[in-house]
Amino acid sequence: MKHILIIIASFLFSILFFEKSIGLNLSLFSILTIVFLMLYNPQKIRNRTIRLYILAYITTAVFVFIQHSNLSIIANCVAFFTLVGAVSEQKTSIYVNWLNGIYTSVAGYFHRNLEVSTEKENVSWKKDLDLIHVAKLIGIPLLFIIIFVLLYKNGNPMFNDLVNNINFNFINFQWLLFTVLGYYLFSNISKPIPVEPATNKDVKTTNTLYKSDTFSEEKLKKEKQLGTTLLGLLNLLIILYIITDIASLTSIDTTRASVLSSQVHNGINTLIASIVIAIIIILYFFRGNLNFYAENKTLKQLTYLWIILNVALIVLIAIKNQNYITSFGLTYKRIGVHIYILLTLIGLITTFLKVMNIKNMVFLFRTNTQIAFITLILFSAVNWDHTITKYNLNQAQHFDINYLIKLSNRNALLLYEQKDIINISQKNKNRIDTKYWSYVKEVLKSEWQEISFEKFIIDDKHPSSEL
Amino acid sequence: MNVPNNLSRSCLLAFAIFWIVILSNEGIDEDIILILFLSFIPIFMVASLVILSTVCPIFWFTAKQGFSKQEVFKTYHPYYVVIAFGLSVFGILSTNFNINMIAFFVSAFITTNQSWVWFAKEKTNGKHS
Repeated sequence: MKHILIIIASFLFSILFFEKSIGLNLSLFSILTIVFLMLYNPQKIRNRTIRLYILAYITTAVFVFIQHSNLSIIANCVAFFTLVGAVSEQKTSIYVNWLNGIYTSVAGYFHRNLEVSTEKENVSWKKDLDLIHVAKLIGIPLLFIIIFVLLYKNGNPMFNDLVNNINFNFINFQWLLFTVLGYYLFSNISKPIPVEPATNKDVKTTNTLYKSDTFSEEKLKKEKQLGTTLLGLLNLLIILYIITDIASLTSIDTTRASVLSSQVHNGINTLIASIVIAIIIILYFFRGNLNFYAENKTLKQLTYLWIILNVALIVLIAIKNQNYITSFGLTYKRIGVHIYILLTLIGLITTFLKVMNIKNMVFLFRTNTQIAFITLILFSAVNWDHTITKYNLNQAQHFDINYLIKLSNRNALLLYEQKDIINISQKNKNRIDTKYWSYVKEVLKSEWQEISFEKFIIDDKHPSSEL
Repeated sequence: MNVPNNLSRSCLLAFAIFWIVILSNEGIDEDIILILFLSFIPIFMVASLVILSTVCPIFWFTAKQGFSKQEVFKTYHPYYVVIAFGLSVFGILSTNFNINMIAFFVSAFITTNQSWVWFAKEKTNGKHS
């Protein structure tokens, strides 16, 4: 029965994906995967965490259909691996779920192959030998018959005609291979595998830091002195930097792109180095017993101050980036800077929580990876090409029409609608027309597996009689 | 470790997978037979090189630390798979789904994984071999 389910799923996999681009098929595949996992692992699906991951997976599947962007496809794949990993073991961190999910999906067959042979070695070896014998019995004669038929074809015209009359065109070997790939994938995820010892270690590791047996007041006093001096000086340095940065911010000429660009990029480089070093220093001093040392208050206060000053640095960079965007419009890189700033801010907040609540490094990894996963899903809900185009055409002081035309087709409709109300050359208007009509043709000729929400919009705008 | 046996089986497997993928796309033609036979040499060289440089060292180094082959498989194979899968996907995507590259990466991925299984399945004299 279970084999039949895998075979049905692999046929559906082929129907959905063979020679098709991504669209509705990925959303349907997500539903198929969830049903498949429910049938194979009914007990595990009742778990609350897994239900949350199912919800996340369905959400990304909906975003794939609505937004049809590369980011939504990536988010869907990540959610798939997370769910499969969570089914293998529910109580692990999200990054262990990713490891388990990827391993199960791409190499579950090989792992099970070894495990079966370990458990039932004698029987399995016999079975293996039988299978190899059958494979030889079919494969070797078939290979040589094909080779000799191809050789004999040249020797005898009658034989050549006879062979040419044999037509295997009704069999699509690529389709068969693709179905085998689907079988392999569903067979792998039917029984998710936890990677050991990583999974077991992760389950046993809590988020709380404990006092170790080697607690030495003298050592900790020296370490505290070093930490206090270092953080005190670093705080003074960052205050000086922030003051000069604020002064320079008020004197920047926002009309010159090169000046702003250099300011933002220099600021980002400083930020990267500063935040990474800040977090490493904090993690070094608060890695163990210094958390439990009674006289660590000054060091903690200096650490909190440094985190707050780094947050101020982040705000300054965000202001510079926003100034840049206001003057010269949105681009993927500028959005990337804002996302990076957001993630850095979250990183600093979790470091603050780690120090305040005496948590270990695992807490940081767990929390930050979970937040990264949620951020990925949330950002995949946005049509960034449309957002960039809308902002640049309507709100930015200057815009680069060439950049907007070169974006993906997901802004084609908006560009087409606004081409006559914005100040651009006739040549660019023609380019927008070409982009729009090729997009319309592409959407309208897509097969049912490839459609997305944009198909309904285009159908509504251009009923088939119009084209 | 029976390296020659593993290499010969792996090369045959790589050869079969590589040509199944190619022929499923291009069909069988008498002109291709010579190339098919000659291709065994580069396939043998590449498969041997990859297995000797990426799979064998893991078994050799861990054997000195007293790990059994199955322990080595369970501990290190998942990370090997993740890296190999990542490289294969990157290779296929960066060549824009070129059929020759698909055949190469698919055969390399399956062959190296099966090579791991064959090494791990080898009979050993006790746990610490």
